[in-house]
Amino acid sequence: MAAMVAPENTPVWVDTARCKACDICVDACPAGVLSMQAEPTSTLGAMITVVAPDSCIGCNECELVCPDFAIYVAEKKEFKFAKLTDDSKARQEAITNNGYRLPADYK
Amino acid sequence: MATREVISTGNELSAMAGVDAGCTFFGGYPLTPSSEVMHVISDLLPKVGGACIQMEDEIGAICAVIGAGMAGSRTMTGTSGPGMSLKAENLGLAQMAEVPLVCVNVMRGGPSTGLPTRVSQGDIKQSSNPSHGDYRSITLCAGNLAECYTETVRAFNLADRFMQPVIVLLDETIGHMHGKADIPTVEDIKAGIVPRKKFDGPADEYFPYECGPTEPATLNPMFEGYRYHFTGLHHDRRGFPTEEIETCRKLIQRLEDKVMAHQDEIELNEEFMCDDLTGEDGEVLIIAYGSVSLAAKEAIRHLRADGIKAGLFRPITIWPSPAQRIAELTGKIKNVLCVELNIRQFTEEVERASSRLDIEGLYKVNGRAISPNEIVSKVKEVF
Amino acid sequence: MAFNYDKYLRLEKMPTLWCWGCGDGVILKSFIRAVDKLGISQDDMCVVSGIGCSGRFSSYVDFNTVHTTHGRTVAYATGIKLANPDKHVVCVAGDGDALAIGGNHTIHGCRRNIDITFIVINNFIYGLTNSQTSPTTPQGMWTVTQKAGNIDPTFDACELAIASGASFVGRETVNSPKKMEKLIIQAIEHKGFSFVELNSNCHINLGRKNKMASAMANLDWIDDITVSKRKYDAMTEEEQLNLLPLGILKQDTVVREYCDMYQDIIDAHQGKRGKVTQDDFVKKI
Repeated sequence: MAAMVAPENTPVWVDTARCKACDICVDACPAGVLSMQAEPTSTLGAMITVVAPDSCIGCNECELVCPDFAIYVAEKKEFKFAKLTDDSKARQEAITNNGYRLPADYK
Repeated sequence: MATREVISTGNELSAMAGVDAGCTFFGGYPLTPSSEVMHVISDLLPKVGGACIQMEDEIGAICAVIGAGMAGSRTMTGTSGPGMSLKAENLGLAQMAEVPLVCVNVMRGGPSTGLPTRVSQGDIKQSSNPSHGDYRSITLCAGNLAECYTETVRAFNLADRFMQPVIVLLDETIGHMHGKADIPTVEDIKAGIVPRKKFDGPADEYFPYECGPTEPATLNPMFEGYRYHFTGLHHDRRGFPTEEIETCRKLIQRLEDKVMAHQDEIELNEEFMCDDLTGEDGEVLIIAYGSVSLAAKEAIRHLRADGIKAGLFRPITIWPSPAQRIAELTGKIKNVLCVELNIRQFTEEVERASSRLDIEGLYKVNGRAISPNEIVSKVKEVF
Repeated sequence: MAFNYDKYLRLEKMPTLWCWGCGDGVILKSFIRAVDKLGISQDDMCVVSGIGCSGRFSSYVDFNTVHTTHGRTVAYATGIKLANPDKHVVCVAGDGDALAIGGNHTIHGCRRNIDITFIVINNFIYGLTNSQTSPTTPQGMWTVTQKAGNIDPTFDACELAIASGASFVGRETVNSPKKMEKLIIQAIEHKGFSFVELNSNCHINLGRKNKMASAMANLDWIDDITVSKRKYDAMTEEEQLNLLPLGILKQDTVVREYCDMYQDIIDAHQGKRGKVTQDDFVKKI
């Protein structure tokens, strides 16, 4: 397999030069790891960010559904992924309901 | 050069020539009066390990041929007027992407369904620009049985030299004519094959469409380690689509110049009994091609027996036209008669090349041949 | 887990010109993963694409690539393949390219059962040229050529392929990238004409004027109109009317492939065997 080595201690990382801010990966994530944020210089004025890397469960859904080669997930032997928690699910719901952006005041 | 005598038809000779010239792929569709080219080659090609396929329509045929040509094979198709009309769009892609192929057009009465089993030369204008846009067609016209063979061979070498389709015009009379032909030996043909240029440096230094302004692209066969892109869009030096102003301008200009700057390699004419035409009063220059030229030669023998100094100028390469030679001849000879099985299609090119609007013409569009007597009578009538 | 697509991409062509969220990119990735898993050398692969958004597919991948005229991918591919039978040839075209202008070539590629994999990216519209009706655009939807509502009926592309004689037919959607990858692997491995319909989202053209302006809404709609073959087969005709079955819909490993049969013709002409006759075929009509 043509493999890509993950950056150290990183579950998921993004290539902002390729991201078109389509929201699909944010929608697909079950654990509230990803969020769009305002970025006036890019497509649709938004850009993907990893807001909660420690919640990443390594399901790989984001990488699979991204159309633009813009997001990658580490291998199980490269990172100790978390389990899916109620907190993660709640954050995901908040992100989805807020136009795929983590509410500014979310704790 | 040694020759061998064969007894055959024009269509069959064209098919034989293809295989002898190294063709390994033929894609076709039945269309009277060209079908025999496919019938014959469907037996000849598999014998040499090549492939012949009857596609579902004329468009499928030319596409399969272009595909095989892109992959690196010497390829050929055969058709008639209605098929040329259908193939037009994809002939344009072959011009744009610079894919060599040979397209034999056995001309029949047109337009449209016309006269499927009868002769015409009605596709002359179409051959100069079958597809939309700017490019230069290379079109050859066989004027006798042997040329059905030799012109098809020449077409393959020209196609690979200039990296584009070459049209070989037969007309129905010559395509279906059955007789004796003295043609070169297979050994001589094989020795004369000049295949397309190839790049043999490192793949990352290969730019297929980067070449001098009067040169064709260098397109390596597929599957040999040189990966690039074919498209009908304007493209850059690696074949990728682009709209960049200078790249687009240079590409289209090069499609024109790669042919026109090397006309000397493409032009071929026959001047029959023209040596003693010096421009005196009463001399007659007849311009004819294809099967009509056979009648014209006979007419010239009659005219000369009647004391009229007549000669034939026969373009074998129709496009690009031998404009300069036409200008020279029509510049000194006053009486010029164009004889064609269409209405003025090559005559208008003669007018353009000669800057004369007093070119006489003998035209027939009813699917019948023009006889030597008709030409003799016309000469005596108008001159 | 982190698949490096860069090896197979023409990096100077990135980012793709496809709209944000367009499923074509997901299909591209599934295709690359499939080719990588199969271990096919880049030099042995030819990708032929048509005109449309899906037509740009071929310029993004580092294989031998061809971008044809509208509707003609299968015809070009037939020539490439028949002249090079031991190489891999994959066609990629949209629903308009493959089923409208290219319908005839699609039918006959299936009929010949030539060993080509034909990926038809069906996004139910003409996307690149801005929302004209395609043979799969649902009746009643808004299109730019039928702004008072599309009256053109649709057909099922996979049923067309099956009826035309393709020996491998399957369908998946961009909602399931791993399933698409697996289907593409099976299609390429299959010796014969493999027809693969992949439903994709065109929220910018189809979706925007038809109540699914976001990628997610368009993807949900695709989810709503597709169902596994197993479930589909157990449904009534009425239930089936508005669903497309997913998975492998036909797989015939017995019927002979075209280039294989043509080798018999070569052998016959070279005196290595007798002529091909009706006795060589189970199917006599």
